[in-house]
Amino acid sequence: MIKPYKLTAQPCRFCTIYKKGDSAIPSGLYEAKCAAPSLDGFPLPLPSKKSDYTCFAVTADGAEWYGAATGLTRYDKNAQREDNVIMYFAADRDLPDNRVISLLPSGNGIWVQTETGASYIEMRTVGAEEKADILLQESIKYVDRRGMYSQKRLAVPGDVTTAVRYGHSDNDGCFTAGFAIAEMLRFATFRREKGAEHPDTVKAKKVAVRATEACLLLMHIHGRGDGFVSRSYLCPDEPVPDDGLFFRKEGGKAVCLETSASKKRGMVGLVIDASAPVPDRLAKLYRDEGYGDDGIVYKADTSSDEITLHYLNMLFAHDILGPEDPELDEIIKFSVRGVMNHITDHGYELHDCTGEPTTWAKWSRSYFETDFGYVDACLNAAELLMYLKTTMHILGEGGKWQETYDALIADGYDDLTTKHWNRLYQAGLSMSFDPFEDIMYGDHMLSVSAYWGLCMLEKDEELLKKYRDGFRSWRTSLKREFNPGYDLPFAISCPDEEIDLDRLATWFYRMNVSRLASGVSTKGRHDTPVNRLRAGAKEISWLLPNDERFISKYDRNPFALKNVDSGGNTTVESCYIYSFAYWIGRYYGFFE
Amino acid sequence: MSNKIHLIGNAHLDPIWLWRWQEGCGEVLQTFRSALDRLNEYDDFVFTCSSASYYRWVEEIDPEMFKEIQNRVRQGRWVPVNGWWVQPDCNMPSGESFARQALYSQLYYLEKFGRICTTGYNVDSFGHNGNMPQLLIKGGMRTYVMTRPNTTENPDMPEDLFWWDGVDGSRVLTYRIPTGYGETGAEALDRILKNFSERADKNGHGMMLFYGVGNHGGGPTKGDIEHLRAVKAEGFYELDFSSPDEYFEAMCAARIDIPVWNGDMQHHASGCYSSISLVKQLNRKAENWLLAAERWNTIAAKTSGMPPATNELAEAWRSVCFNQFHDILCGCSIMEAYDDVRDSMGYAMTIASRAENNAMLKIARSIDTWIDGVSDPVSTVVRHQSGGKFPRPVVVFNPMSFEVNVPVRTYHPSVRVTDSEGNDVLFQNVRSSRSNDSHLDTVFMAKVPAVGYATFWLYLMTNENREDFKNEPHTDVKADGLVIENKYLKVTFDGETGGIKSLVSKTDGFDYAGGKTLALPTVIDDSKADTWAHRIFTFHDIRGIMELESIELVESGPARAVVRTKHRFNESHLTQDFILGSKQKVLRVKCKAIWQENFSMLKMPFPLDGSDPISTYEIPASFIKRPCNGEEEPAQNWADLTVTASDGTRRGISVMSDSKYSYDCPGNELRITLLRNVIFADHFSHRPKADFNFTDEGLQRFEYGIAVHTGEAEASGITAEAALFNCRPVAVPESYHKGTEPQVKSFVTVTEPNVIVTAFKLCEDGSGDTVIRCCETDGKDTARVGIVCDIINAGFWADFGKNEIKTFRIDTEGYVRETDFLEGIYEE
Repeated sequence: MIKPYKLTAQPCRFCTIYKKGDSAIPSGLYEAKCAAPSLDGFPLPLPSKKSDYTCFAVTADGAEWYGAATGLTRYDKNAQREDNVIMYFAADRDLPDNRVISLLPSGNGIWVQTETGASYIEMRTVGAEEKADILLQESIKYVDRRGMYSQKRLAVPGDVTTAVRYGHSDNDGCFTAGFAIAEMLRFATFRREKGAEHPDTVKAKKVAVRATEACLLLMHIHGRGDGFVSRSYLCPDEPVPDDGLFFRKEGGKAVCLETSASKKRGMVGLVIDASAPVPDRLAKLYRDEGYGDDGIVYKADTSSDEITLHYLNMLFAHDILGPEDPELDEIIKFSVRGVMNHITDHGYELHDCTGEPTTWAKWSRSYFETDFGYVDACLNAAELLMYLKTTMHILGEGGKWQETYDALIADGYDDLTTKHWNRLYQAGLSMSFDPFEDIMYGDHMLSVSAYWGLCMLEKDEELLKKYRDGFRSWRTSLKREFNPGYDLPFAISCPDEEIDLDRLATWFYRMNVSRLASGVSTKGRHDTPVNRLRAGAKEISWLLPNDERFISKYDRNPFALKNVDSGGNTTVESCYIYSFAYWIGRYYGFFE
Repeated sequence: MSNKIHLIGNAHLDPIWLWRWQEGCGEVLQTFRSALDRLNEYDDFVFTCSSASYYRWVEEIDPEMFKEIQNRVRQGRWVPVNGWWVQPDCNMPSGESFARQALYSQLYYLEKFGRICTTGYNVDSFGHNGNMPQLLIKGGMRTYVMTRPNTTENPDMPEDLFWWDGVDGSRVLTYRIPTGYGETGAEALDRILKNFSERADKNGHGMMLFYGVGNHGGGPTKGDIEHLRAVKAEGFYELDFSSPDEYFEAMCAARIDIPVWNGDMQHHASGCYSSISLVKQLNRKAENWLLAAERWNTIAAKTSGMPPATNELAEAWRSVCFNQFHDILCGCSIMEAYDDVRDSMGYAMTIASRAENNAMLKIARSIDTWIDGVSDPVSTVVRHQSGGKFPRPVVVFNPMSFEVNVPVRTYHPSVRVTDSEGNDVLFQNVRSSRSNDSHLDTVFMAKVPAVGYATFWLYLMTNENREDFKNEPHTDVKADGLVIENKYLKVTFDGETGGIKSLVSKTDGFDYAGGKTLALPTVIDDSKADTWAHRIFTFHDIRGIMELESIELVESGPARAVVRTKHRFNESHLTQDFILGSKQKVLRVKCKAIWQENFSMLKMPFPLDGSDPISTYEIPASFIKRPCNGEEEPAQNWADLTVTASDGTRRGISVMSDSKYSYDCPGNELRITLLRNVIFADHFSHRPKADFNFTDEGLQRFEYGIAVHTGEAEASGITAEAALFNCRPVAVPESYHKGTEPQVKSFVTVTEPNVIVTAFKLCEDGSGDTVIRCCETDGKDTARVGIVCDIINAGFWADFGKNEIKTFRIDTEGYVRETDFLEGIYEE
């Protein structure tokens, strides 16, 4: 029985940046007296070197602010939580640049003059659910692309209002599935707590359904009718980037467009069948925006990332949305059967139109025997087993799926699911990298999805134990991130394991209220040791709070020493990083 | 190709065992010459050899031969392994000692051979603590070769190749040599080749065959090499002259699933953790003293311009590391060898003492202790005390990274003691060790900040003011007959046996004795075991309980109360002072024994009633839980027994010591092994009639301590408490002078109590950078630990995993990088 942890409202930073000379900047800021704070014997580490601090001020809330040539520090010795005692504010996210010149308390916040401009920083108390809502509204307004939620580029760096209408992500399917799961759990939580007819519940369901439909659409948009899954798709007026394989649909056919990838594979101009109909309910997502099927461009060479998150999404959609929406449930069943047939009919591989497997969607024994596949095998075995369990669960049938599942177990796939850490470590020794240096951080989310799904669905105690062991094996890599998006599914799957809810609370508290990507200042922090790993990657020795480090979508090493968010400063990302973790926590009773 | 048998030519060399080190040194020179000759004769032969100290001997005595070795290392024909000074015992050296084994050795290898050792190699050591994987990795080694315990001694472990996961989760690829590490002779080699070939086929991975005659045998013989070449040429087995490095490389590249072993690897020689108390005591003392000295030297160098003693301390550490060789520290060498050990440990401690004293005085000299009027002419000088009516400053230095409030002693009586603010401090005049003048010393309670000092003012007792002495402060210490108590404990002694018949925690009133008697000195019959106690894992045959001769309350004052017991068993005597200081959680027991009981062990038992007993032992830089099955277990500063007590609460008794390493826990009783009296270097012998010398014969001085707690041991703060037990603050009598520094100061602050500083030193490369090493003690992931040290402009955060050791290198600007035991001087 989980004892729910009460998430309280906590201070959250709201920063508005002004260019030099902006009339909104109060003149008092330029005239503010500067004196270096007295920091002799200061009891805690400070983000800037003590001798770098040149000015200080005290705001109405009693917090002390220290300006330095290397950023701004807030010291609140009365902070409710220890991790809020010292906070660091830096360029580009919080300040125009790091050279702080003067400080001026004002209202509930503080004006900060830097060399190239000014910033007004206010600490507002924000509740965890309120934050989820703020982030969701941002995503709906700026990130949504026909129900897909991954990220959008900005025309003007740093200005979220300039999000361009188009722009796909390689992992549109994967990220949107994560978003959809979060929103389904939000809907289910509201339905339980507020009732099905409550406006919040109704609104939540709408968002969840739309995202789920967007995911399902990717399984049909290509018109191949063979259970293939597209990475993403573009409407006719969207530019086609040169980063993969793209096919334009026209008159029931699809032609491979010229890109570096298609040229390399000799596929330019290849024409394939695209006549399979797209379910109307799903096609509505683009038809409502005035597009027809002709001219649609879909992206191929799909990886296992997409398939895994799609399956987890379909599992939740079937269980949460399905009972109330038989039409959607039928599409889910149709989709899950189609994809599963494709994978089993193609020797446990996802095949592109050429009859060759895609680069990263391979779950076959022959792949596991390759150098790369040897390490990959543990995750991919779990994925394939999870797809089969999900298929059986959704379709309510065993038959050939059960036979396939049994055959895989007989072939040792269940044992493979337990060997991740051993094989990764062995590869690390052999190739001189630290296991934490593993470049495939994106696999973390996949492992959580695959093992969570397996642990939810497997009833056989012996197999369940193996899957739990497998999840534990992955947790060796996941644990240090203290990411509730990983730890909560782990705790659900392995109920005997303890997780640190207070520590996870910090993850929510210190998440910014925007997923606007920008630069941060990690390199050069005086309070942050740097650790060089074996293969040369550099890490920091402590997990910086979310609002002081770069943002990522569950796919980067949060300890990496880097100053730039994954999308540079020209991107706004989906809120799913927060909402996925938050709504799992709420729905399963970890948090209240 | 992964099923190949790798032929590892080596020579096992004990620098001390049944001979003294001088002979061991000669043996190294002879064996290295022989190995070089074999390398010249056979172009496919590869030689593997450990122990930096051996290479250093050769470098110093025969530089020409050393150049030959350097050349062969460059060619890959001579492979140094084990980046440590020797093949140490792998249970008793502290975590910091293992760090120094790696630091001084790997940097030596780097300087002389341009490479470090990547394979750990302790093929003869008798057991391997559960934190070794972390200690190896942070010393640059990710693979490991060992032999003991063998498959009979520990059949649960995987047979040969396995992943070894340590208590913190660190992992090394490990090979347990299934046969011997020095095989020789055609017949033996053929038998093993057949066996290994079958194993390789069965397990699907390659094997290593270690051949070569050790200890005066010269290493691989021509006969063995030629025989192996001939067998290889036959092609029946897949063989290669190889090295452990090459073997592990092949195993990592192979797609094989390797079994996993968690925790420590025990037991082989269970008597070794108590045999020869002298060497154990010297080891513990030297380790702690060197660390404290290094700490103060670093601070003095950074604050007062004192020249760093880095090189001198390194040399001292090398002596300590050498004496951690398994046959030395395990107490199984000949008696004469321990004269050498005593001398070289004395050398190390003299260096520590000088460095510490110089640094403390240098720091103290900068403290403002001036009192106006103190330089006025005086007419009386009382026993080296100037100042007359003025109190004398005493600066107490605390090397621990947490604040302490403990009794300290100075060698004069006092009428009053105050702190730097003029507040009265609890003190007590106690009987001194001298019979001269007053016969009294002062013990006072010193509250001193972390890695810092505090100044106290002692008003000397003189004939003139003796009558003015009124020390009636409020204190928590009480004594009444055979009952002593303080804020935390109430201890009642049994007048019949001298044991503790009641041990009450005053926090909640629970009596940990529970109707039983604790600390009854128990003599165990140890006549069946050899010095190692080969094949014997328990010591349970009670020869008798020592008889109480006297018991009395010998001190009762505000700072402490002391009950003294005297016991006798035949011609052996034991005196124990049970000391309970003000606000101390530990009942400290100062012991003096005159031991003459042959073939015996002295154990002190602590029974504890309850269910679900778990015994916990400190291991190097960590702790481990072991079953309460009565097997003799190695431990560092402390061991603990925790049970679910009659009130349903988890409760435990912890026992710590200043020099002991051996315990057992037969069910609901924790017993510390205090002495072991057996014949020196008695190795399965038939004990011919002779006038043998026995270990631990005669005078023995040592201390142990007792503490109680609720909850599990590791969460009780026992690691810090036991560290303090072993490394007390030092009182430095000072004089009057002007100074720039305050009377109380802390140099290092750590924000979390379960993270302690284990090393604070200057970097070995002479850059002026500082190295701080910390470890997590409670076995819990700990986020955002703040470490602040203003004298090096440093303040930084770090996350610690459970039992994690982290080493930080701070440059002169205060910027920090996390590194390992090699201090960032070597990076892959």
